[in-house]
Amino acid sequence: MPDRDVLIIGAGPSGAVTAKRLAEAGMSVVCLEQGDWPDYERARSAHPDFELTSGQYWAWDPNARQGPGDYPIDDSDSDITALMWNGVGGGSVVYAAHWQRNLPSDFRVRALDGVADDWPLTYEELEPYYVRVEKDWGVSGYPNDTAFPPGEGPPMPPVPLSPMGRRVARAHNELGWHWWPGPNAIATQRYGALNACVQRATCLWGCADGAKATVDRTYWPVNQRAGVELRIRSRVRRLLVRGDGLVEGAEYLDADGNEQVQRAAITVLCANGIGTPRLLFLSGEGDDGLANSSGLVGKRLMLHPFGTVTGLFDEDLESWQGVWGQHIHSLEFYETDESRGFVRGAKWGLQPTGGPLSMTRSYPWGEENAVWGESFHREVRRRLGHSAMWGIIAEDLPEESNRVTLDRTNPDASGIPGVKIDYVNSENSQNLMAFHRERARESLLAAGAYDVIIAPFIEATGWHILGTCKMGDDPADSVVDRWGRCHDVPNLFIFDGSVWPTSSGMNPTATIAALALRSAEHIVEARRDQQVAA
Amino acid sequence: MSGIDRETLAGLADALIPEADGMPSASQAGATGALLDEVLAVRGDLEEPLAQLTAAARGTEPAAEIKRLEAEDPALFEALTTAVAGGYFLSADVRERLGYPGQQAKRLEDDFDQELLQPVIDRGPIFRPTPTGGQRNDGGQV
Repeated sequence: MPDRDVLIIGAGPSGAVTAKRLAEAGMSVVCLEQGDWPDYERARSAHPDFELTSGQYWAWDPNARQGPGDYPIDDSDSDITALMWNGVGGGSVVYAAHWQRNLPSDFRVRALDGVADDWPLTYEELEPYYVRVEKDWGVSGYPNDTAFPPGEGPPMPPVPLSPMGRRVARAHNELGWHWWPGPNAIATQRYGALNACVQRATCLWGCADGAKATVDRTYWPVNQRAGVELRIRSRVRRLLVRGDGLVEGAEYLDADGNEQVQRAAITVLCANGIGTPRLLFLSGEGDDGLANSSGLVGKRLMLHPFGTVTGLFDEDLESWQGVWGQHIHSLEFYETDESRGFVRGAKWGLQPTGGPLSMTRSYPWGEENAVWGESFHREVRRRLGHSAMWGIIAEDLPEESNRVTLDRTNPDASGIPGVKIDYVNSENSQNLMAFHRERARESLLAAGAYDVIIAPFIEATGWHILGTCKMGDDPADSVVDRWGRCHDVPNLFIFDGSVWPTSSGMNPTATIAALALRSAEHIVEARRDQQVAA
Repeated sequence: MSGIDRETLAGLADALIPEADGMPSASQAGATGALLDEVLAVRGDLEEPLAQLTAAARGTEPAAEIKRLEAEDPALFEALTTAVAGGYFLSADVRERLGYPGQQAKRLEDDFDQELLQPVIDRGPIFRPTPTGGQRNDGGQV
């Protein structure tokens, strides 16, 4: 007999949202999380050594960080390194909190642009869940952005435009280009568990001020009060599959390395676009993996090539402060225009550039612009406080050759096999990025920049891990259905970014969260008809 | 306490960050002395590469050695520049001269500007709506 209604694997954004809704509906929920709670005592944003220390405990690359919840990822054949946080809060702990809904066209790329696949749902179907999740999450912004269908906006007013945002906004008005106050999962006033942001611009390295909405702060304490049991340092080794094909729970190793079994009527995977296919590969017979009659588990990995373009200004913009986060965003070139030589587009977010040590690094400034030697002080003064940066999120199209596979030669600390990723930055993505970098350059020049630096392409930008368990109506061509239920295993669900049929050009957390809420709602509504491992 | 040759390090550090433009050099600011201790206290991982690179650099011409490191050993070069510049910017004097007070807590100001946003609103929606029928770009039916 299962001892819980629901087992959730992974305590990041999708796991947190799912646990909350299912607990509210009266279900008994347990969540296994391989990592630990983030330790905000180790956030150094208020200390002089912040820039020296921020990349240690808060490192984004699990191979470099080697935290208690991390597992090895062989990225030697990938143009982009996968970045993640394996602990309570998941990706929200290290994200920049750019809160971007997808656009209507993101759900209809086949219909509109003749490429890849449409999603089995529309923007309009997801819109009510965006609205709900934005209230739970704690999102700030300004409603009725002209790049989106009109409707209810986020619950808090936007972050400041800041001097840099105002400059670029004026330029875009002159160019006739879109901009809008940045939507962010950053509190601009006291909101639930969140404090108002104090603009230290240290968002990606542990928000010590408690203003960035991370689900370890906003959801998990609420979930635990509602009766959800969260077990940290619990590494799942495999899902338990019964003879009738249903999943009856998971076998895992607890914090002391002891083997444990957790049974549940249904299981929901929320382990991200790499962790989820890893678990399916670990749970199947042979190397085919569980729930993989389509052959698509692990394939169609999308990682969002990322670019930065930085402008230098005479004006003192105090650009080490602000939100990081985005002060404004632009979707002017988001939609497809085939005359550009590529399909799909990218979203831009305007960001600070950091403190003095950041001014000396090869990224985003480029090795050819190195500061060392006679020009050091002049160059640091040119950059520090006088720069603004567009961050560009490029949509990459799904390709089956970009994929996650199991790597039995490289196990984690518990002896569970690691993974290998293969990813090639496609010609479409390269053309797309080249076009967007040039437009971003024009944007900053129009804003008064006397020099613009286009950052070199670097690998360490794979924050957005999508697509490896495609959602669709046809079991031959997808892993899960429109509700996140595995076609092959009716009591196994996937609610993380794995299920995205295409990647959009947006920071994905808003849509991951909204989709998890929609799918969780469907579990509640369809509970009478749900097949369970009874 | 460590195998770092601080004299050699000072030569390298001052080639990276010389005295110029009203600013002290790295060693003058203490980046190879007391501030290096502060750096190593929080970045112990830098100690071994600094020991390694200063041992190899002993007796060499600093500017040439830096060029060699940059070209031949990016990881050591990264460790060197992180430790030296990281220590340099811990100096209260350097921070004051730069006008950099650190990542301060600053209350949010409401600088929302309807007039600035109005031209965007006036241009109207720019998204492509969910298609409900008709021809798609590749000639098929939606």
